[in-house]
Amino acid sequence: MSSRLLEVSGLTTRFETRSGALNAVEDVSFSVSEGEIVGLVGESGSGKSVTGFSILGLIDPPGRIVSGSVKLNGRELVGLSHADLRSVRGREIAMVFQDPSATLNPVLTIGTQMRLAIAAHESMSKAAATHRCIDVLTIVGIPDAARRIEAYPHQFSGGMRQRVAIAIALLNRPRLIICDEPTTALDVSIQAQILTEMKSLAARLGTAMIWISHDLATVSSVASRLLVMYAGRLIETGPIAAVLRQPHHPYTRGLLNSLPGFAKPGQDLVQIPGAMPSLVNLPVGCSFRPRCTHAQDDCTLLPAFATDGARAFRCHHPLDLPVPASEARP
Amino acid sequence: MLGFVIQRVLQALVVMLVISALVFMGVYAVGNPIDVLISPDATQIIREQTIRAYGLDQPLWKQYLDFLARLLSGNFGRSFVYNMPVLDLIFSRLPATIELTLAAVFGATLLGVPLGIYAGYRPDSPISKTIMAVSILGFSVPTFWIGLVLIFTFAVTLGWLPAGNRGETATLFGVEWSFVTWNGLTHLFLPALNLSLFKFAMMVRLARAGTRETMLTDTVKFARAAGESEWTILSRHVLRLIAIPIVTVFGLELGSTLAFAVVTETIFSWPGVGKLIIDSIATLDRPVMVAYLMLVAFFFIMINLTVDIAYAALDPRLRTRRAS
Ligand SMILES: Nc1ncnc2c1ncn2[C@@H]1O[C@H](COP(=O)(O)OP(=O)(O)OP(=O)(O)O)[C@@H](O)[C@H]1O
Ligand code: SF4
Ligand SMILES: [Mg+2]
Repeated sequence: MSSRLLEVSGLTTRFETRSGALNAVEDVSFSVSEGEIVGLVGESGSGKSVTGFSILGLIDPPGRIVSGSVKLNGRELVGLSHADLRSVRGREIAMVFQDPSATLNPVLTIGTQMRLAIAAHESMSKAAATHRCIDVLTIVGIPDAARRIEAYPHQFSGGMRQRVAIAIALLNRPRLIICDEPTTALDVSIQAQILTEMKSLAARLGTAMIWISHDLATVSSVASRLLVMYAGRLIETGPIAAVLRQPHHPYTRGLLNSLPGFAKPGQDLVQIPGAMPSLVNLPVGCSFRPRCTHAQDDCTLLPAFATDGARAFRCHHPLDLPVPASEARP
Repeated sequence: MLGFVIQRVLQALVVMLVISALVFMGVYAVGNPIDVLISPDATQIIREQTIRAYGLDQPLWKQYLDFLARLLSGNFGRSFVYNMPVLDLIFSRLPATIELTLAAVFGATLLGVPLGIYAGYRPDSPISKTIMAVSILGFSVPTFWIGLVLIFTFAVTLGWLPAGNRGETATLFGVEWSFVTWNGLTHLFLPALNLSLFKFAMMVRLARAGTRETMLTDTVKFARAAGESEWTILSRHVLRLIAIPIVTVFGLELGSTLAFAVVTETIFSWPGVGKLIIDSIATLDRPVMVAYLMLVAFFFIMINLTVDIAYAALDPRLRTRRAS
C-alpha cells in the first residue's frame, strides 16, 4: 500500500445550537493514501460535509472541532494557526462544492477568480497566472479556454461551471481534493461525464480524492474504498467491491437493498424503515438501533469501531462475517 | 448600451414634461404672488399693469404654454423677488449645495461602508457594537437637533469651529468653492457632518446586512477553501457582491440631499439652494420654484440613469451582451 497522505483519527466536531449541542461528526477515523479515491456516503445530515470542512479547518462558530486529529503527511492540522491553515487550503487540500452557481462569484470573471486563488499561495505576474489558468481550464475540458477566461460564470452551462470550479481546485496542484457532491446538481448525462473525467484526471495527476455523495451508485463508479456514515459516525469502511458484495453493517445492507443493481438478486427493493434520528437527541447505544431489524439487547451499548483486516464496522451483530480462523479450528 | 442610453434619455424628456406640468399647477395652487409683488396700497392701475406684465392675467394653460415656449429657448424666466434670471440665481447658489452634498454623501459612504463591512464580518466584537450604536443614533435622532447640538458643542462651547456661513471661498473652474480654502473647510465641516450622520447610519446598516449575508454563502466558503485571505475575501469578493444596494442608496441620497438639504442649510446659514427654495416658497417666487423643482427632477433622472449604468458595470448578469 502506498504511503498515508491523510490520517483522520477520533475527529469530533460539535455545534452548539439553540436546541442543544450536537456532534455533527463523532469519533471519525479513516485515512487516505496518495492518489487514492475514497468515497464517503451517507444520507442527508449524516455529517459528510462537516467532515470535509473539519479537515480543512473551515468550521465556523457555533461549531468547533472538540477532539481528534487530522494529519497531512504526518503534520497535525487541528489547532494550526489561521495563517498556517490558509497555506494548506487550496495548495495541499482543495475542495469542490455541490452547486457551482453558488460557489463561483457571479460578479467576477473566472479569470479574476482563478488568479485570486493562485495569488493566495504564489506571487507571479498576471501573464504567468493567466497562462496557468488557461492550462488548467484546458485540462478540465473547457474548450477555447484562452477566450473563455474573461467570461463570467453565468455565461457557462452548469456542467462547464463545475469544471471551472474543479479547475480552481486544481490550480495549486493539491495532493488531495475533497469533492462534496460535485455532480449532484448536474444533469445525469453530464454527471457521468464529469465523473469519468475526474477519475482519470486524479489518476493522471496522482491527486487523492475524498468523494462525498449520498448516492452509492455514483461513489461506486469512482472510489476504490468506501466510508459509510450514519448520524455523525462512520459505521462501515472497506474496499468498495468487498463492502458492496458483502456489507457487514445492517445499515449498509439496508442502503444496498434500496438500490437497483445492488440488492440481492431476486429480492424486492426495500427502503430502510424510519428516518435518521435527530443529532441533538440520539438513541442510547447504537444510533441505528430504532431502525435496525437485527437489534438485540446489547445494542443499547455503543458498539466499538471493530477492524477486520482492510474492513471495519461499528456493530455488535455484523452480517455475513467470515468465521474467524481461530474459531474455525476444532 | 447606446440604445439603452438613448431610450432612457427619451424617457427622461417625457418625465420632465409631465413634471413641469405638475409643478406648474402645484405652484399655481400655492397662492397668488401678486400680493407679494406689490405693496397693498398701490393703485388699481399699477396693480393691473403688474399683473399683465407678468402674464398673470392669462388662463393657466396659456401661462403654461408660454412657459414651455420660453423654456425651449432656454429661458426659465426672471425671479419676481431678486429680479434676475432664475437660472443665474440658482446656479449662483448651487455650488454651495453641491459641495455640502458631496462632502456629506461621500464622507458617509467612505466611512460607513468599511465600518459596516467590519460590523458584518465581526458582529460580536465591541467595536462593531459601538459602530452599530452610533448608527442607531444617526437613525433615530432628528437632523435639526443634532445640528443644534453640534453648533452648541463645537462652535459655542468649545469654539473650535464656526457656526455658520461658507467662510472664505476661492475660485476653481470659474466657480466659488469653500472646500479649497482652509477657512472654508472649517465652515464646511459641521454642516457636512450634520448632514452625513443619517447617511452614514444607512450605509453602515446596508454594508453590515450585506456582509453578514454574503459571509454565509458558498462563494465565501469556496474562496476560503482555496486559501484566500480574509482581506482578499472582503475586499475582492464581498465588497463587489454587496455593491448594488450601496450604489442605489448612494444615488438616491445624492439626489435627495442636493434637492432637500434645507434643514441643515437653514441651521448653519449655508447659502445653498435649499435655503433659496424655502425663501422663494415664502415669497411665492413662482419662476424660482418651478425652475428649481424641474432642476431637481432633472438631477434625479440623471442620477438614476448613472446608477442604472453602474448596475450593468457591477453585475455582469444584467448586461445583455453574452459571450457565445
Ligand atoms: N452551521 C451549523 N450549525 C448547526 N448545525 C450544523 C451546522 N452545520 C451543520 N450542522 C449539523 O450537522 C449535521 C451534518 O451536516 P452536514 O452538512 O455535514 O450533512 P451532510 O451529510 O453533508 O448532508 P447533505 O447530504 O444534506 O449535504 C446537520 O444535520 C446539521 O444538524
Ligand atoms: S449494533 Fe445492533 S442496532 Fe446497531 S446496527 Fe448492529 S445490530 Fe443493529
Ligand atoms: Mg453536504
